[in-house]
Amino acid sequence: MATAVHGPGIITELEPFTPGHRACSGCAEALAVRLAAKAIGNNAIIVNATGCMEVVASPFPYTSWRIPWIHTLFENAAAVASGVEAGLKSMEKKGKTPERNIKVVALAGDGGTSDIGLQALSGALERGHDFVYICLDNEAYMNTGIQRSSATPYGASTTTSPAGKESLGQITWKKNMPAIAVAHDIPYVATACPSYHRDLMKKVAKAVATPGPAYVHILSACPTGWRCPTDDAIKIGRLAVKTGTFPLYEVENGQYKLNLNLTKLEPVGNYLKMQGRFRHLTEDTIKEIQERVTQEYNKLVALASKSGEKASPE
Amino acid sequence: MTKSKLTEIRWHGRGGQGAVTSAELVAQAAIGEGKYAQAFPSFSPERRGAPVMAFNRINPDEPIRTRAEVDQPDVVLIMDPNLLSILDATSGLKEGGTVIINTKKSVEQVRKDFGISARLALVDANTIAQETLGVLIVNTTMIGAMIKATGVISSESIKEPFEKRFGRLAERNIKALERAVEETKIGEWLEMAKAKTKEKPGTKGELSWKEIEIGCFITKPGNSVEIKTGDWKSRRPEFDFDKCNKCTLCYFFCPEGCIAKTKDGYFEADLFYCKGCGICATECPKDAITMVEEAK
Repeated sequence: MATAVHGPGIITELEPFTPGHRACSGCAEALAVRLAAKAIGNNAIIVNATGCMEVVASPFPYTSWRIPWIHTLFENAAAVASGVEAGLKSMEKKGKTPERNIKVVALAGDGGTSDIGLQALSGALERGHDFVYICLDNEAYMNTGIQRSSATPYGASTTTSPAGKESLGQITWKKNMPAIAVAHDIPYVATACPSYHRDLMKKVAKAVATPGPAYVHILSACPTGWRCPTDDAIKIGRLAVKTGTFPLYEVENGQYKLNLNLTKLEPVGNYLKMQGRFRHLTEDTIKEIQERVTQEYNKLVALASKSGEKASPE
Repeated sequence: MTKSKLTEIRWHGRGGQGAVTSAELVAQAAIGEGKYAQAFPSFSPERRGAPVMAFNRINPDEPIRTRAEVDQPDVVLIMDPNLLSILDATSGLKEGGTVIINTKKSVEQVRKDFGISARLALVDANTIAQETLGVLIVNTTMIGAMIKATGVISSESIKEPFEKRFGRLAERNIKALERAVEETKIGEWLEMAKAKTKEKPGTKGELSWKEIEIGCFITKPGNSVEIKTGDWKSRRPEFDFDKCNKCTLCYFFCPEGCIAKTKDGYFEADLFYCKGCGICATECPKDAITMVEEAK
């Protein structure tokens, strides 16, 4: 079925993630959580690793969640989610709680996923727990003041990969987390971006409905860390997708499918030049990044065409 | 024992405005003069745009042993005039203390509008920063106002920390500071001013250990709706229903989730929560939303 990315109408009035949270002005990650929460619905338990979204949503004694929510450490969101899921299953089996098909959703940032929580995540995916893992990727440890993570893209200046005379910022390429999730042979992996809100909500809903583990990787702009005006948070996300820097795709049981049919990628410079963290890049570096982006995108196109799924027009 | 010459300073700004940087620079300047000094921010999960505090302690003669937040300051600096309506600037102010405010208003107006009878130092830092630096960053200008009002450091000793911090931009910042020293207006301490409460500004009724649930459970789901994040904004969206085609994009793209449908099917932001990010105005395909400065 074609995935429509634009269209009028409020899909659901449900807001399990309430206003009053203390995210920075213009935070696309808070938006991603809000949209994901709408798609998850009320019948769920959220397990939240340390990170921006934990800190801004729970300044004690307040919470922005209307549904059960538990804070875990940085490294064990997936492990705690596994425990909650196994516990629920066992209680249902013993008749201690009625069967209500409660979904367990783990939320973690890019640091909590691709650095610190990777082994717990790998274990949970491998054991096949029935849960959804959502990685909220803003490409650095923004909560503690913009330190690089393994999800920080090549060339980005952060406080621990600062650009200067001798350094161009981050010197490694962004870790391909969705591919690592796919390698676990799980039923559903997807990438999403709040700039494509319908696509994001559809994917999260699909992940929730999938029996077994599902992984959704959401790229969300961080005006504070990416050094851009708050107004542009959505625009930048859209450019990340249109330049092919962050392609939107799904992998269902190993079958790749690109969600947007981009006949031509926009030049990656359009995306980079909107952000202060890439301000220092020379034309040569931008060319280098362009080559890498095109190469990675073509790999995806090849995988998708092998899977025989057609992308829907934008 | 002689009376301590300790000066305690409390900065009120918004996250990202440079209150913490200012405090650091002032401390560095004081240390450069051979004095003892401290600078530190208040620790909280507040983000860019939220009201924040930073503190200084300066003592010319002896080391400073206390590490606590400043709740009885000699000097209070208000970097954003909009903050005056949401916090009590004179809270805990010592007798004879000074309140330094970034405002276009006159001494009489400020006294009338906000009921502050303490010693006042007023400077139109927004205009100075805009004209001298070309950007609306007022922290260095506010240091100038403080130098004029208190003389706790000299405008000579601040130059070196500026040069270290700002490099080639130091010169313009020094110019802004010097202009502020000249233009700051002082209103003397009025007799009726009395140091008020000792309560920390910006905190309300924290729970005691007896009231906290075991395991730190929060028993009221979604109670963050009580938090007024609308205080953070310096501009707000205005909706033109004539242009609106009810496409719902602003509703979906609002990170606060504060844009809701009106009775007639149009959309409007709840300013109690709106942080003024401007995403709705950028994304509106019909240009029905414009961001306007919060007038004060």
